[in-house]
Amino acid sequence: MVIKVKNLVKRYGDLIALDHLSLEVKEGEIFGLLGPNGSGKTTAINCILSLLKYDKGTIEVYGRQMSPDAYDIKRRIGIIMQNVAVFDELTVYENIDYFCGLYVRDKKRRKQLVDEAIEFVGIKDFVKFYPKKLSGGLLRRLNIACGIAHKPDLIILDEPTVAVDPQSRNNILEGIKRLNSEGATILYTSHYMEEVEEICTRIAIMDKGKIIASGTKEELKGMINSGERLTVELFKTDSSIIDGVLNLPNIVSAEFDGNLLIVRSIKGKNNLLKLLDYLKSRDIDVGKVYSEPPTLNDVFLEITGKELRD
Amino acid sequence: MQVFKAFFKIIVKNLGQILIYIVVFLSVTVALTKLNNTADYTGFTETKVNIAFINNDEDSWLVEGLRNQLLKHTNIISVDDDTRKLQDALFFREVEYIVRIPHGFAEKFLNKEDVTIEKTTIPNSSREIYIDMLINKYLNTAKAYISYSDGLSGETILSQIEKDLAQETKVSMAFPTDNITLIEQRAFFFNYLAYALFAVLILGVSSVMMVFGKPDLKRRNLCSPLRQREMNFQLIIGNVSFAVITWLLLSITGFFLFGSYMLSLNGLLFMLNSLLFTFAALSISFLIGNVVKTQNAMHAVTNVVALGTSFISGVFVPQDLLSESVLRIGSFTPTYWYVVNNNTIANLVNFSTEKLVSIFGNMLIMSGFTAAIISITLVITKQRRTSN
Ligand SMILES: Nc1ncnc2c1ncn2[C@@H]1O[C@H](COP(=O)(O)OP(=O)(O)OP(=O)(O)O)[C@@H](O)[C@H]1O
Ligand SMILES: [Mg+2]
Repeated sequence: MVIKVKNLVKRYGDLIALDHLSLEVKEGEIFGLLGPNGSGKTTAINCILSLLKYDKGTIEVYGRQMSPDAYDIKRRIGIIMQNVAVFDELTVYENIDYFCGLYVRDKKRRKQLVDEAIEFVGIKDFVKFYPKKLSGGLLRRLNIACGIAHKPDLIILDEPTVAVDPQSRNNILEGIKRLNSEGATILYTSHYMEEVEEICTRIAIMDKGKIIASGTKEELKGMINSGERLTVELFKTDSSIIDGVLNLPNIVSAEFDGNLLIVRSIKGKNNLLKLLDYLKSRDIDVGKVYSEPPTLNDVFLEITGKELRD
Repeated sequence: MQVFKAFFKIIVKNLGQILIYIVVFLSVTVALTKLNNTADYTGFTETKVNIAFINNDEDSWLVEGLRNQLLKHTNIISVDDDTRKLQDALFFREVEYIVRIPHGFAEKFLNKEDVTIEKTTIPNSSREIYIDMLINKYLNTAKAYISYSDGLSGETILSQIEKDLAQETKVSMAFPTDNITLIEQRAFFFNYLAYALFAVLILGVSSVMMVFGKPDLKRRNLCSPLRQREMNFQLIIGNVSFAVITWLLLSITGFFLFGSYMLSLNGLLFMLNSLLFTFAALSISFLIGNVVKTQNAMHAVTNVVALGTSFISGVFVPQDLLSESVLRIGSFTPTYWYVVNNNTIANLVNFSTEKLVSIFGNMLIMSGFTAAIISITLVITKQRRTSN
C-alpha cells in the first residue's frame, strides 16, 4: 500500500473540512480523488503531505507514519500543487534545476534528469524564459516538470488542469499516463469527471469532506440504480409521446430537447428496444439513436441529489 | 546549495532597485567630498595683493630695497600719481593698497629721525595688515642695521636685510592632524552609509525572504527532503554574505575617498563600527522580510525604516541640531549609536581609554540590538510554523 489514510478529521474552526476520511492508494495505480469545489481535496492532500496539522486519524505513506520530518518518504514523492509554485526570478531551466536539486545532489545526474523533464512536458523552446512570460498552459507544464524531474515513485497532482487550454490539457493527461506506465503511482484530484474517468484506474468520490463512494468506474456505476441515457431524434414532437414513454417499464424521465427525445432509465433489460418498439407502434419516424452508459455525474447525482458541476 | 544559489539569483533579479540606492550614495558622498576638497582649507598658499608704489622721494637704495622686497610678495601695479586715478584704482580694486614714500624719507630715515610712510587702503581690507607687516619688517630690519653697524655701505646692508627676510616662516595649521572639513567629511560618509546600507539590506533581504515566504513556494520546499535546518542555514549564509558584500562595496569607497587614513586606527574603528551596524541592520531587514508580504509594503517599509531611523538618529542632520526628545526616540535604534560612534571616531586624536570604552560600549549596544531582533524573529517564525 502506498498511501493509507484512516479516519482523517480536519477542522477549520467550526467547519469540518475532512470528516473521517479514509482512502488507500495501491502501488502502480492512478487513483482519482473526484469532488466538487470545496469538498476537501486540497485539504486531504495537504494533510497527507504533513503540510497541515489534523485533528484525528492516521496517515501512512509507504508503510510508515507520515510526519514533517519523514525525509526518506518525502524523497520518494513528487508534488504538483493546485497553484503554480515556481520562482518568478528564475528561468524555466533554473526552476526545474532548483527543485530537482532539492532531491538530487549529483550535478551530472541532475542535468540529465532536468533535460528529461523538459523533454517530457515539451517546453524545450522556453528554457530561458522567465515564468511571467509563459502562457497559462506552459506555466502548468513547468509546474509539473518541477514536480517530476527527480523521478518520484509517488506523484501527487492537485487539479493540474484547471484553467488550461485543451492542447496543454491533453499533453498533461497523456503525461500522467506515461509516468504511470513507467512505474509511478499517482494520486490525482480533479473536479472534472471526464478526466478522472479517462485516466484513473480507481476513483474515490468526495463530498463535504467525506468519501461517498469508491472503486473502479465500472464498480461505481454498478453501485447506482441509474441505467443508460437514451437519445432519439424524432421528426414530430408531441407531448402525448412523453406520456406514453413514461408508461414504459424502467423509464424514470423523458423530455424534449428540440427534436431530441431524452430518456433516462434505471437498470433493466432491453430498455432501448422497448422504447423503439413503442415509437414504432405509434408510427413515429425515428432518426439517429444513441445509448450512453451512466456517468460519474449520475453516480454523484444519485448519491448526493445534486450535480457534480454547478 | 540550491537555496543559497537561488538567493543570489533573486538578488540579481532585483538589482535594479538596489543599485539606485548604491549609486545615489556613491554620487552624493563622492560629490560632497570632492567639492569640499577644492576649497583651500587643506593647504596654505600665499596670494599676491595688487598694490601701487609711489615714490615722492629721490631714488635711494633704501627705497629701492623696500620696493624690491614688496615685489616679492605683491604685484606692484603702475598707477599715475593723480588723486582721481588713485581713488578709481582703489574703488575698482585694481589695487588694494597704495604706498607713498614722502619727500626726504630716505635722508631722514638714515639720520634716525622719525618718519612715516603714507598708506591708503580699501576700508576693512584684511590684507592691509599683511602689507603693513611687510613694510614694518623691512624698515625695522634696516633700522637695526643702520643703528648698530656704523659705516656699512648701503649695498651691504641691503643684501643683509634680504638674507634675513628671506627666512620665511613656515605656516602650519592650528589642528594637529587634519582640518575640520575632512573630519566632517569622514563622519558624513560613514553616517550616510547607514542610510544606504539599511535601504539596500531591507530591499535585498526582504525581496528574497518574501519569495521564500510565498505560501505555495514554501509548501513545495517543505515537501522536499531538504531539512528545515539546512534550508534555514543556507538562507542565513545567503543573508550574511549579501550583507557583508554590500558593506564591503560601500565602505571600500571610503578607501578611495580617504586613502591611507582608512588604515589608521580611526579608519579601522570606522570599519568595525559600520560592520557591527551592518549586522544590526541585517537583523532588522530579516525581521521585515519575514513579516512583509507584498512589494508595495516592502518599499513603504524600506522608506519608513531606513529613512526614518536615519533622520531621528542624526544621519542627515547633525545630532547637535536635533531636539532631545527626538534623540531619545532615536536611541531606540541602532543607527543612533552608530552615528554617535562615527562622530566620536572622526574627532578622535588621542586614544584615551575613556573614549575607547565609550566607543566599544556603543558597539556593544548595537550588537545587543542585533541579538534582540534575531530572537524576536525566531519567536515569530516559530509561532507561524506551529499555527495551523
Ligand atoms: N485555511 C483555511 N481556513 C479555513 N477554511 C478553509 C481553509 N482552507 C480551506 N478551507 C475550507 O475547507 C473546505 C475544503 O477546502 P479545499 O481547498 O480542501 O477544497 P478543494 O476540494 O480542494 O476545492 P477546490 O476544488 O476549490 O480546490 C472549503 O470549504 C474551504 O473553504
Ligand atoms: Mg483544491
